[in-house]
Amino acid sequence: MKILYAILIAGSLLALNIVLLIANRRTPVPEGCENLVPDCKGCAITSCAIRNSYTKGDTKND
Amino acid sequence: MNLFSIFIASLLVNNVILSKFLGMCPFLGVSTKLSSAVGMGVAVIFVILGASVVSWLLYYYALVPLGLEYMELICFILLIASFVQFVEMFVKKTSPALYKSLGIYLPLITTNCAVLFVAMDNITQKYNLIETAVNSVAVAGGFMLMLVIFATIRERLEGSDMPKAWKGNPIAFVVAAIMAIAFSAFAGLV
Repeated sequence: MKILYAILIAGSLLALNIVLLIANRRTPVPEGCENLVPDCKGCAITSCAIRNSYTKGDTKND
Repeated sequence: MNLFSIFIASLLVNNVILSKFLGMCPFLGVSTKLSSAVGMGVAVIFVILGASVVSWLLYYYALVPLGLEYMELICFILLIASFVQFVEMFVKKTSPALYKSLGIYLPLITTNCAVLFVAMDNITQKYNLIETAVNSVAVAGGFMLMLVIFATIRERLEGSDMPKAWKGNPIAFVVAAIMAIAFSAFAGLV
């Protein structure tokens, strides 16, 4: 029975995460905030997905 | 341990960056400008406090009664990721001004290991809900304090004359090491 509870809890949290992820992506960004970029260029991890999502244009020039 | 001791211990003595070496990515990545450091710091305080309280409630009201304490890690990771998504969505919908100043740092916080550390440390230390909240604010406050100090130093270093090989991350690491030595003086305070 314990294993069922474990699967249920983990599954619920995973489902919650996916639902919130989709809902967050569907929520429009407020006006004036479309081109905001985090100033994280001091970080040397160039393979970071977050960094690359904001600097797609820049990385081609690098 | 009273609340004041917990606060000072987490803020200065056991600083999450300089003594635990957690959250080094944003510490080095978002510390090139003071304004970015403040924005990131405030967002981290908000997320750590919220995520820790929610994690504490999940642990003591769901995992412990069901005897599933061993699932703490996986549950906390999923919970923190969900919490950050929720906060980002909530801020987007309700406060564009807040989103403009903090929202951009929220995706970066998902990958901040300090958030998970605080949630798990609160359980390890057997803190109650109030102690959890105080510890979370103190750890996040310590993170912000270090980030702001480091950013002010790096801003000054930008204009300073130094060998090319030292510019950027090399000098940043040296400064971080000196800061860690300086803050080790707080050891034994609490």
